[in-house]
Amino acid sequence: MQLEDDKRKELYRKMVTVRLLEKRVEQLVTAARIPCSGHFGLGQEAVGVGICGPLRYSDYIFGTHRGFAEYIGKGLTPREILSEYYGKATSLSRGRLGQHLLKPEIGIMPLPSSLGSEFGMAVGTALSTKLRGSDQVTVNLFGEGTAGQADFGPSLEMASLWQLPLVFVCNNNQYVELAHYRNVVATEDIAPRAGAYGIPYEIVDGNDIALVYGATAEAVSRARQGEGPMFLEFKTYRRCTHYTGDPGGYQPQEEIEIWVQKDPIDRCRATMMAEGMWTEADEQAMLASIADEIEAAVKFAEESPYPDPATIYEHIYA
Amino acid sequence: MNRRITFIQAVREAFQEEMRRDERVFVMGQDVQAGIFATTSKLVDEFGPARVINTPICESASVGAAVGAAMTGLRPVVQIMFGDFNYLAMEMTANQAGQWHYISDGALKVPMVIETPSGARGGAGYGHSQSLEAAFILPPGLKVAVPATPYDAKGLLKSAIRDDNPVLFFEHRRLLPQRGEVPEEEYLIPLGQADIKRVGSDVTLVAVSVTVHKALAAAEKLSQRGIEVEVIDPRTLVPLDKDTIFQSLQKTYHLVVVEEGRKRGGFGAELAAIAVEEWFDYLDAPVQRLGTISAALPYSPVLEAACIPSEEDIVQAVLRSLGQEE
Repeated sequence: MQLEDDKRKELYRKMVTVRLLEKRVEQLVTAARIPCSGHFGLGQEAVGVGICGPLRYSDYIFGTHRGFAEYIGKGLTPREILSEYYGKATSLSRGRLGQHLLKPEIGIMPLPSSLGSEFGMAVGTALSTKLRGSDQVTVNLFGEGTAGQADFGPSLEMASLWQLPLVFVCNNNQYVELAHYRNVVATEDIAPRAGAYGIPYEIVDGNDIALVYGATAEAVSRARQGEGPMFLEFKTYRRCTHYTGDPGGYQPQEEIEIWVQKDPIDRCRATMMAEGMWTEADEQAMLASIADEIEAAVKFAEESPYPDPATIYEHIYA
Repeated sequence: MNRRITFIQAVREAFQEEMRRDERVFVMGQDVQAGIFATTSKLVDEFGPARVINTPICESASVGAAVGAAMTGLRPVVQIMFGDFNYLAMEMTANQAGQWHYISDGALKVPMVIETPSGARGGAGYGHSQSLEAAFILPPGLKVAVPATPYDAKGLLKSAIRDDNPVLFFEHRRLLPQRGEVPEEEYLIPLGQADIKRVGSDVTLVAVSVTVHKALAAAEKLSQRGIEVEVIDPRTLVPLDKDTIFQSLQKTYHLVVVEEGRKRGGFGAELAAIAVEEWFDYLDAPVQRLGTISAALPYSPVLEAACIPSEEDIVQAVLRSLGQEE
């Protein structure tokens, strides 16, 4: 499916927002303004942003703990993210969620602390839409390391068995915490495992926003029309360390350099400029606007009050 | 009009009534269409395979799927064939089902039931026999139902299905074929309301699930010796009806608690702690706790029976409480 000009600009802006926000949050974590550690996704922004491109607000996404791409992609704002990260009363959860970003009303579903615990839940939301006769689609995004979790296989089995409107997306960024993925993952590719369960799959360049968008749009369209699940694997690369405080050093510099050349944001901008739909003036205006949005969000989060400790007894049971 | 029907029939009637009443209710689990312990048998004939779903053999993904469905507008009941297998799904139950309502500040609700036959039935072996209900007292956000009679089972399951929280519903396998009075007309039993199964004035005996029946038999024996035991069935461990137990204690000043779950870290430990913390002035004797020994349940029925509390153990515990041990 073709990526239209306006959509490309929207996704480009989101990718840049993700990159600048991650950089800013890293500073704030390091400066101990934010209590949690940060997990970022430098260089892999096109996957999370791109897969949300074809989604409606009513579609469900289960995202990852790494970076903000799918959350910004699905419509969360820097202000909403920062107020959660700060643990302030003004956050959507009044300080309860932290990194576990959530906004069910725009389809952002739980990010469990335990990797892979979303596999079953994603089956459940897809089963729910099917039983309710709704045409909503569920997207389950996870990393290549999480594909080792126990519920990975059963969720593929259930999705295939019941022909659920569920799109599995493996964000293969080549590093599982502090090691190259081939230390702990037996195969080069994850996607062919879907074939064993009778689910069609595709392996796609995850650093090309148009390809990510196009492959996801087709899978989502199939699922929406009742044609069952699909599995996409996007090849990308994590150019940052596992978390703030991880000194790194385990990624060869030459390897990082190769992926700098394939940077998804640079590639998208170059394409837009070559096609005459983006100018340097557009770029500067956008950067200034994003910087304003992020700084306003930081200010808002900094100035927001902490939640009242008396609220800890609220919503223990529904 | 009261009839005498089995525990299984009572549970199945609860399913039928709730599934007719609310189309969001559905059942999933291994072999629920055929019904391995018959509680869900024939539901598929009335409600079809879309609402009575056989799942692959994976407890964690099945409970996970129920969590996802519950968060998005449905009311799943997932059956876990043996209570022991709940540990396979513990991550989804304890870390996910029970916690997202709170951590989302109420944005998400997880209205679901885990229906789980469990307990020692004599010769099922170490991994098909445990009573694990107390393991679900610790994680937050869950409710735990432990019915001992067909009447309680039906009324509690209907309430559990209508509840907006995840509820574990334990069915002791020795109780499944037992008959009891169940009215024709509809009724509900609220979660968190204990039932006094026998009135007495000398000792408060709190008994869980299958041990209610052993406690009643023990009470009859003790009555012949002039000791009147009040038998209280909490019916749900969470929420716990502390008021009913405390009112009884204010009369008897003696507390005994019996369960088939393991004694160490069990429900009795929790209740004894509550008693010394909150009701100390009403204890004339140490709290007596009975539960299964902290060992794997052996296969041989003779060994198994020696591990779990018996009617005679209960008699002796009551006598110890009164300082009349033999």
